[in-house]
Amino acid sequence: MKTITFDQIKTSSIALEFDELIPDEIYSWTEADFAKYQVPIGNSRFPLTDFFEVTVEGEANGPDEVEMIINGDLNRVKYIGCKMSGGNIVCNSSVDLHVGAEMSGGSILVKGNAAAHAGREMSGGYLEIEGNTKEFTGASYIGEWRGMTGGQIVVGGNAGKQCGECLTGGKIHVKGNCDILAGIHMTKGVIEIDGDVNRWPGGQMKNGNIIIHGFLGRLLEGFVLNGIVVDPEVEGVTYEGKYIQYTGDIGLNGKGNLYLDAEANKEKLATYGELDDEYTSIREYRNL
Amino acid sequence: MTYEPPVTDYDHIVENCTCAFCGCNCDDLDYLVKDGHVVAVRHACRLGASKIMEDMDQRLIVPMIRDENGELKEVDWDTALDKAAEYIANSIRPVFYGWSETSTETMKEGVALGEYIGAVLDNQATICHGPSLQAVQNAGYPIQTLGEVQNRADMIAYSGSNAMNSHPRHMARYAVFCRGYFRQRGRFDRTVVTMDPKFSDTAKCSDKWIGFEQNGDYGFYNAIRAVLRGKELYQDVISGIPKEDIYELAEEMKNAEFGVLFFGLGLTHTLSKQRNIDIAIKMVQDLNKYSKWGLTPMRGHFNVNGFNIFMAFECGFAFGVDYCRGYPRYMMGETNTIDLLVRKEPDCFMVIAADPGAHFPNGANQHLADIPVIQIDIHWGPSTELADVVLPGSFIGVECAGTSYRMDGVPIFMKKAIDKPETCRDDEWIVRELKERVMKLREEPNTAPKYVPNPNAL
Repeated sequence: MKTITFDQIKTSSIALEFDELIPDEIYSWTEADFAKYQVPIGNSRFPLTDFFEVTVEGEANGPDEVEMIINGDLNRVKYIGCKMSGGNIVCNSSVDLHVGAEMSGGSILVKGNAAAHAGREMSGGYLEIEGNTKEFTGASYIGEWRGMTGGQIVVGGNAGKQCGECLTGGKIHVKGNCDILAGIHMTKGVIEIDGDVNRWPGGQMKNGNIIIHGFLGRLLEGFVLNGIVVDPEVEGVTYEGKYIQYTGDIGLNGKGNLYLDAEANKEKLATYGELDDEYTSIREYRNL
Repeated sequence: MTYEPPVTDYDHIVENCTCAFCGCNCDDLDYLVKDGHVVAVRHACRLGASKIMEDMDQRLIVPMIRDENGELKEVDWDTALDKAAEYIANSIRPVFYGWSETSTETMKEGVALGEYIGAVLDNQATICHGPSLQAVQNAGYPIQTLGEVQNRADMIAYSGSNAMNSHPRHMARYAVFCRGYFRQRGRFDRTVVTMDPKFSDTAKCSDKWIGFEQNGDYGFYNAIRAVLRGKELYQDVISGIPKEDIYELAEEMKNAEFGVLFFGLGLTHTLSKQRNIDIAIKMVQDLNKYSKWGLTPMRGHFNVNGFNIFMAFECGFAFGVDYCRGYPRYMMGETNTIDLLVRKEPDCFMVIAADPGAHFPNGANQHLADIPVIQIDIHWGPSTELADVVLPGSFIGVECAGTSYRMDGVPIFMKKAIDKPETCRDDEWIVRELKERVMKLREEPNTAPKYVPNPNAL
């Protein structure tokens, strides 16, 4: 096992790009190799050792045997773990854009917040962000219809707009609240949101599952009420309790499922008429 | 508004000029010229005419450099160009912003310079129709020319756009009041719908006003799509609009012979941003199952579309193109001018034919005050107060010729009508000169830029 520790010496006002410093590339590097390496900053490259003191311990025969520990203020360090296929990265700070973008394996732990595009188009591996994420978590590149296709993203705090945009596989678990249009255009995969959702989850979704344990502000008209389900099972996981199940977005003849916690969203059920304690009357309004 | 008698005191008329104001690019203007100045403009709207008859008091005439006391001092062209080239050559995160009020020929030189130095090239789309361009990349572009609108359209929908104020001749020349080959009765052959939270001047001229609530665009269009798919709406009111009105509107849109949706910043800059345009495009695609429909963004500056078309042709991205790694990259939130400035990344900023000082948010302008700013423009404005080097350009379509792209993507040649002031230069020449001087500086040995982090940035 090889441990590579990056201790920040000074911060940069222009973002450093770490897309070349992934376990796949650096598993065989020595401290001398890092001393020679120049990191991209703007239109130039500058010695990495101007910004980070790098310590290498142990040996590795492949990326899976590498652990990168990055200490310091990483708010101007982009593309951490971008395109990595193995190994483990621990960031002891908030990170800049594109953390874990296009990663296919390995794991990243961010002990802070992440800027936009975290886990963009990732196809495998595990990305955990202890704090909040900004827009487009697990989303796609502009013009691309496939966002995240595999792996798992866990957000400890809140997620910004369009979380899981064009989700095509894998799972995103947001433990806090979520802003608008979570799972827009999604075709597969699961988004689980423990907190509240601002409005319009699943806009133009074709398939996949969104589970919201909190309160939903506004639902789109493109969703058709299916009824109440108890303890729904989604991709092998059982969610205990009563959930209102919708299907949509019918604007695209979508067959995606949206599960809303029934207790937290009693208001929505009231739209369909008077309810008894068991929500039985909702059955009359199925398939509107 | 007081009556202004027609101007009769002029030397000659230059006919069929192209307006250099909004994205309508009206190409039927006549300039009345006296003593080498445009003294009146025929056929133009008041906005276009007032811009073309430029105010010489505000005209930038000579190159200037800001001295150590913070005052702009007049200098010769060589000194100003050398100073600007020095700033650019020594920068590691340069941003070249603007381009929407200059010619496509100038953009060609700008891209060559940007690619050479590794700069970010961005235009005003970043604060206006950028979301439209992102949506077009996602969902396609069901567009038609304004000529087709004039001759064929019998239903016009304005969404988030107040054309009466922002594009005054749009309704008269292309969309609403004009007679067309298949619309001989002009306005009487057309149904006009305005979808806007405000009861705007355009809404006042319309047959129907759909005043959905602020930020309700996405929900509203989603509901129309649901109706077009045959679904019964379950809510009585959607985004502030009774569902009966949505049924009625969807029916009217289906029954139109040729409909066009024009949308403005009211749609691109509300809550769902590019997804508003995305779903509007999808709605138009749905409508094409019943009738013929198209949509067109109401572009603001006369060549803002030109930059986007040009850049998309050159490198595949319409705006916010970052050449810093030697190849073009684009990502919203990362390579757009406002984001870069708010993150305090740029260390050199060249503004050409734009006025960020007037239009950018405070946080962005604060950073502009900290870094070298090069301005290429024809008028004194808030950006001049931020500029360290001022290079007076020329007025495209009046003082020099050039190519621009109308809002529907039709390229239009803009002819020269009068001579520019002797001390001014063409934008194209200025950018080419800068490119050559920057290349010369960079090719000298030991001239790689030294990185000095901005202490105020973090």
